[in-house]
Amino acid sequence: MDELRKRAKELLEAGTVKVVIGYENGTAGRTRALFAEEPKAAEKLIFDSRCIMNLASYITKAEVKAKGKMAIAATLPVMRAIIQLASEFQVSDNNLLVLGITPESTMIEFKDIAEVEAFVHKYEIEIEAKYSEKLEKLNKMTPSERWNFWIEELSPCFKCYACRAACPMCYCHKCTVEFNQPQWIPVPSHDLGNLEWHMMRAIHLAGRCVDCDACYNACPLGIPLNLLTKRMLIDAKEHFGGYQPSIKADHLMSTYKPDDKDNFIM
Amino acid sequence: MSKIGVFVCHCGENIGATVDCARVAETSGKLDGVAYSVDYKYMCSDPGQSLIKSAIAEKGLTGVVVAACSPRMHEPTFRKACAEAGLNPYMCEMANLREHVSWVHEKGEATTEKAIDLVRILVEKVKYNQSLNAIKVPVTKTALVIGGGIAGIQASLDIANTGHKVILIEKDPSIGGHMSQLSETFPTLDCSQCILTPRMVEVAQHPNITLYSYAELESIEGFIGNFKAKIRRKSKSLDEKLCTGCGLCTTKCPVKKIPSEFNEGLGMRTAIYVPFPQAVPNKPVIDREHCTYYLKGKCRICEKVCPTQAIRFDQKDTIEEVEIGAIVLATGFSVKQPDFFPEYGYGKYPDVITGLQFERLASASGPTLGEIRRPSDSKVPQNIVFVACAGSRDEAKGIPYCSKICCMYIAKHAMLYQHKVHGGKSYVFYMDIRAGGKNYEEFVRRAIEEDGVNYVRGRVSRIYEKNGKLIVKGVDTLLGAMPVDIEADMVVLATAGVANNDAEALAQKLHVSYDAYKFFAEAHPKLKPVETNTAGIFLAGACQAPRDIPESVSMASGAAVKVACLFSQDELTRDPLIAVVNRMAPPVYSSCVGCFLCVSACPYQAIEKEEIKNRAGEVIKTLARVNPGLCQGCGTCVAFCRTKSIDLQGYTHEQMYTEVMALLNEY
Repeated sequence: MDELRKRAKELLEAGTVKVVIGYENGTAGRTRALFAEEPKAAEKLIFDSRCIMNLASYITKAEVKAKGKMAIAATLPVMRAIIQLASEFQVSDNNLLVLGITPESTMIEFKDIAEVEAFVHKYEIEIEAKYSEKLEKLNKMTPSERWNFWIEELSPCFKCYACRAACPMCYCHKCTVEFNQPQWIPVPSHDLGNLEWHMMRAIHLAGRCVDCDACYNACPLGIPLNLLTKRMLIDAKEHFGGYQPSIKADHLMSTYKPDDKDNFIM
Repeated sequence: MSKIGVFVCHCGENIGATVDCARVAETSGKLDGVAYSVDYKYMCSDPGQSLIKSAIAEKGLTGVVVAACSPRMHEPTFRKACAEAGLNPYMCEMANLREHVSWVHEKGEATTEKAIDLVRILVEKVKYNQSLNAIKVPVTKTALVIGGGIAGIQASLDIANTGHKVILIEKDPSIGGHMSQLSETFPTLDCSQCILTPRMVEVAQHPNITLYSYAELESIEGFIGNFKAKIRRKSKSLDEKLCTGCGLCTTKCPVKKIPSEFNEGLGMRTAIYVPFPQAVPNKPVIDREHCTYYLKGKCRICEKVCPTQAIRFDQKDTIEEVEIGAIVLATGFSVKQPDFFPEYGYGKYPDVITGLQFERLASASGPTLGEIRRPSDSKVPQNIVFVACAGSRDEAKGIPYCSKICCMYIAKHAMLYQHKVHGGKSYVFYMDIRAGGKNYEEFVRRAIEEDGVNYVRGRVSRIYEKNGKLIVKGVDTLLGAMPVDIEADMVVLATAGVANNDAEALAQKLHVSYDAYKFFAEAHPKLKPVETNTAGIFLAGACQAPRDIPESVSMASGAAVKVACLFSQDELTRDPLIAVVNRMAPPVYSSCVGCFLCVSACPYQAIEKEEIKNRAGEVIKTLARVNPGLCQGCGTCVAFCRTKSIDLQGYTHEQMYTEVMALLNEY
């Protein structure tokens, strides 16, 4: 990724952007986010198969935005998140420059988010076979079996909210779980509280989730949270014509069209 | 500390016979925060309301729960009573013990328990109720009438005569609707056009009516008193100001073989045409689908012959934006289409026609100038069969309802036939004769007794052709289901009246509810027959259900009065039960993150962006803001908001939560 390092350095030197967000080597062989504000820091930028964290979760943070115009090294899921965030008025061309990393690991610098969208739309969001199998198995369960499956899976959750922190779509200043007048979602990590938290989070991602798996990768307990969001992607395809992030603010779940299917209404 | 009063109504026997109202009152009285509880036979009566008023005064109540019927009817009654006693009306809530309890459950312990539960949750809710003030909005005193049939014409004239402005839009080139196609009308046999056309002219000349023919509703936004409509005025390819209506173009147009819609396909028209001689406005339009110029780029004969150079081939549709305060829907109905009756051979045999086609044959302005001649060879039919309920009252065909007008028009048709074809024989196959209405039964008897029409009670199973005759196979159920075969020269089907094809789309555009058959739904089948569930939108005529002329006219006048009532006030008072985006102290300002998903979810376009600026005028934050004039309080945005930044006044998160918890907790 010499290309990326070179371009990041140029952008910082020219002052086009104030910060370049990318990946750098962390401890114990892991990678972590790099916020390069000096041209020299750009040399630390890396990109390899370990770089799976969704960096788009940083571009909505007030402390990062405060630095000034940002550039971001964006893989396909990150680009998808950027488009979705743009449609929700959270980022714009004014404060973000996208240095795209293609699936072939080459760099494309995009003029604007509209160009990012044109590029991203070449790729459909596809559920990997290993997940399809699991989802199919879950689908075949009776409702009570599925209930038990999730109670079991979610029971170790101790609500560290790493899933929320890693998710680029969880950018609200005040999360529903922090809404305490009244406290709709119980805070304690008992089975029901855990279930309610994860159900609520999944529903809030309906028609917005870009399938980056960041929640699953961030979970210290390896809870397969992405099964919930993948299921919704399938449902979105079956009932609402499929999800593809778009900067147009016609969101999948909030936009009514006369030819929408209504077969889910009894 | 709350002091809540609980008032349990027996609704006579309606609730009292099923629910132990005394126990509901007694148990409620022991709940935390309840200062007074009582049951009474009729809480909505004057003494009942006095009970509430005096309790508010004497006990100093801070909230009221009336456990009675649906809030739909009496919530305003009780809120008014509370207001009169000095309590904010929005501190009053209603538990529905009638529709939700006594009418749906049997008498018993569990039923009374459910009634207590419903009261309990509202007692908890009322503790979180806040005093609210009604919202006042101005009224635009112009009405939009959609549809220029007899109902739309009558509604327009009545509204216009009260001194208010009316915009009448009609999708066809002329107003008049189905009534203009009819020959004579029952039960008096007066000529339809003779009574209709003066009204049509009155519309055109009325100073308060703006008529847009060949126009359709493009979109609508806003709410009662304050709608904004976009009207698509389809291009007529004509400068109407220059056109004198001389009709030269229609005589010279070379495309002459287009089945005339007005004559139900029994006559032909040209590509540039006026639907019928008495049309209002009496100016032609070019049918671009058939015009040679639009199809092949050549011709322009009409342009050459026009003495005033009024033809405009390059004219485009225009969108007219209008502000209106009320809407009358008078879009009428259609008749079931031919492919519906394979067993009756409609479309296969030219002499099997619909009732509406018979109207054109019998009409003096029709293709045969009023002589009954069959379409195939123009011979006068000596034997004619009328089939009632062709589609109607047939569950297998998906139309279980009675189309209502057919019994009467069949009697009229048969009568007209007998008057015009002396010595002819007419037969009517019917299921029942439904002639309810002033002078209706007498009219049918006249057809049978004086004009000698043969009524056969039974259904027709099949119609087929044999030796140039149409064989109508039926049974006479009054003669023990004896098979009856009639050799007819012509058959007239009384096809079912159905909703227009685009009725569903229009209803969705206007947010008006509709029934399973796509007829627009009235707000109450008995007490609100011309209102819809959407405030400010009214119904007239056959768009609500099949209607005859007298009914359509009465409905239209009814709807006009409703519009006039609305326009009699300068301001409308609306419930303040609307959504509000929260505000917090700086630097947060609101928990709203400005994703504006609510904007796309709002069905009323009531949410806008609000910029919070610092003293230097820089934008610090962009939030959602609900326009209180537009919000209808549906709560869709509340459900959509991930940060729970929107609350619905009167149904806040806090109130909903406390209701749920009250239900889950023991008492």
